[in-house]
Amino acid sequence: MTTLQKAAAKGPGGAARLLRYLAMPIFLGLAGLALYLYVGIHGLDSIEQRSLNAGTLIGQTATLLKLAVISTAIVVTLSVTTGILLTRPFARRVSPFVIGLANIGQAVPSIGVLALLALVWTIGQWPCIVALVAYSFLSILRNTMVGLRQVDHSIIESARGMGMTKMAVLFRIELPLAVPIILAGIRTALIINVGTATLGTFIGAGGLGESINNAISLDRTVVLVTASGLTAILALFIDWLAGVAEDILRPKGL
Amino acid sequence: MIRLEDLSKVFPAQDEAAVDDLSLEIYEGEIVVLVGPSGCGKTTTMKMINRIIEPTSGRIFLQGEDVTRVNPDNLRRRIGYVIQQIGLFPHLTIADNIATVPKMLGWDKERTSKRVDELLETVGIDLSYRDRYPKELSGGQRQRIGVARAMAADPPIMLMDEPFGAVDPITRDRLQDEFLRLQQEIRKTIVFVTHDIDEAIKMGDRIAILKQQSKIAQYDTPERILTDPADEFVQDFIGSGPSIKRLSLSRISDIETADWPVARLTDSHDEVREKMRSTSRDHVLLLDEQEKPGRWVGKEEIQHDDTPLEESGRPAVAIVEANANLYDTLDTMITSYKGSAIIVDEGGRYKGVVDFDTVLEAINTMRPHEQDRHMSPPEEEQEQPREGTERDLQDGGEGR
Repeated sequence: MTTLQKAAAKGPGGAARLLRYLAMPIFLGLAGLALYLYVGIHGLDSIEQRSLNAGTLIGQTATLLKLAVISTAIVVTLSVTTGILLTRPFARRVSPFVIGLANIGQAVPSIGVLALLALVWTIGQWPCIVALVAYSFLSILRNTMVGLRQVDHSIIESARGMGMTKMAVLFRIELPLAVPIILAGIRTALIINVGTATLGTFIGAGGLGESINNAISLDRTVVLVTASGLTAILALFIDWLAGVAEDILRPKGL
Repeated sequence: MIRLEDLSKVFPAQDEAAVDDLSLEIYEGEIVVLVGPSGCGKTTTMKMINRIIEPTSGRIFLQGEDVTRVNPDNLRRRIGYVIQQIGLFPHLTIADNIATVPKMLGWDKERTSKRVDELLETVGIDLSYRDRYPKELSGGQRQRIGVARAMAADPPIMLMDEPFGAVDPITRDRLQDEFLRLQQEIRKTIVFVTHDIDEAIKMGDRIAILKQQSKIAQYDTPERILTDPADEFVQDFIGSGPSIKRLSLSRISDIETADWPVARLTDSHDEVREKMRSTSRDHVLLLDEQEKPGRWVGKEEIQHDDTPLEESGRPAVAIVEANANLYDTLDTMITSYKGSAIIVDEGGRYKGVVDFDTVLEAINTMRPHEQDRHMSPPEEEQEQPREGTERDLQDGGEGR
């Protein structure tokens, strides 16, 4: 919170910025409260109670988060590294090929990727994570490459001209200047992953998708509304977190 | 200081060499300007000195050391580098930008910080800018920081690729003057690339006019290039008015001032009249207590008139500093009252007067001896002293 306040206090629009930072969590809190009240008013039968209890919901939310976070962590490592390699001069020839390959991952519908992986490999959380990685690889890769390529060539030349090594130029100049665009890609990937992870239930990965799926097959609207509402709140909350992270991590002076 | 030996560069997938067999010697403490039309290879030549572009063949010597094969990163830390776009790091503060090379060289914090302050002062940027970011600066300020950054580790050599190309003409002029003043103190060996012959004439101790493939058309002092262009190419490149351009290279302090009667504003009228009688000039210059030019007084005005001296005659205008060049002085004279300009020192104190006659005389001595031209071979021609500027005297020994 102190970081937030510090960030918000900067500049003349400090109060407005603080409000902007707080608006989303307040809204999400209200939405959560509304869901709680809705469930309380409705009254639950035994089937609904099996899904709508704190233990199950927290467990499923945690699983969903775990799927999204692990897959994002893996995909960030993979795609940022690949993006760096593909923007080096030696990779000029292979880069269209790799991008084409990554395109395939995103072009196949996510449920298709999941099903295929379950068929040829196994069921559970890992194939789900792999599917999420394949699915969001491209968006971060593309942003990494765009971010690195948009760095003004004269900045790189002056850095090299002063005797910075290629590595130093990459880590001290190129990457920091590409951070805003890379972060935007990561944010998108994270949101996609939270949403897509709900489909993981079809290959036994668990998560809030399980409740949603159950609710549909058993025709329980309360459960459906609660589970999908929670998924939406979770996605929006992560998006908000990522937005705050973007503001904090963006290099000053840009 | 810098010696290029048979340097060539052929870019991949190009038939013609960008730089073809160039040999050039650059002397310590001089600004050498590489100038030529677009695509003549001047920038490529410059970038081969710090091996941003690796030469295809040939050798580079810095201070006698062959650096053609040494580690390029270490080499570049010894050479200041300023490019037209400057390329300040937008995510680093001004102080961090300037500290780039010192940090790489492992200077401690205190030394680096002291050096940053020193440099900001040198280039005339307020210390309060230390923690600002490049985007908060104007074009001229950015350019100054670019120069400060290049000088950070006090490299003996600086490479500057059209460093003043991206600022407006007025700022450019000021930056050029500032830089020349700075160079008086720091005496770096500077390779300066430009396509603008006027900038070359202004900045260069020596100019290399380059044709396609970096072939040297003429490598000489600006004075000699203007008075004695080697061939038609050089002549065309200089463009119109070489004699006028030549004037901007001579300082007023290099020529004889005219003998002129002066008196004091505090003197009595009779003293001034006495002065007037003893001279052939029809005006006397009156100085105030600080030796600053006050008023011009004419013969008729003083003869019978007892108006206080502070109010008689005309205020003394058309004042130039002794380090002004002849071009500007002439310009001042043309607009002045009697066709003469008053020369003062830096403190504004009177030093002398120049009029058209003295300037014309000075111009005569710098003109190439046209009648000799067809009779003597060019080598001898070039040996003839044309003027007595300090710059030329220095060249005499090592120049050719």
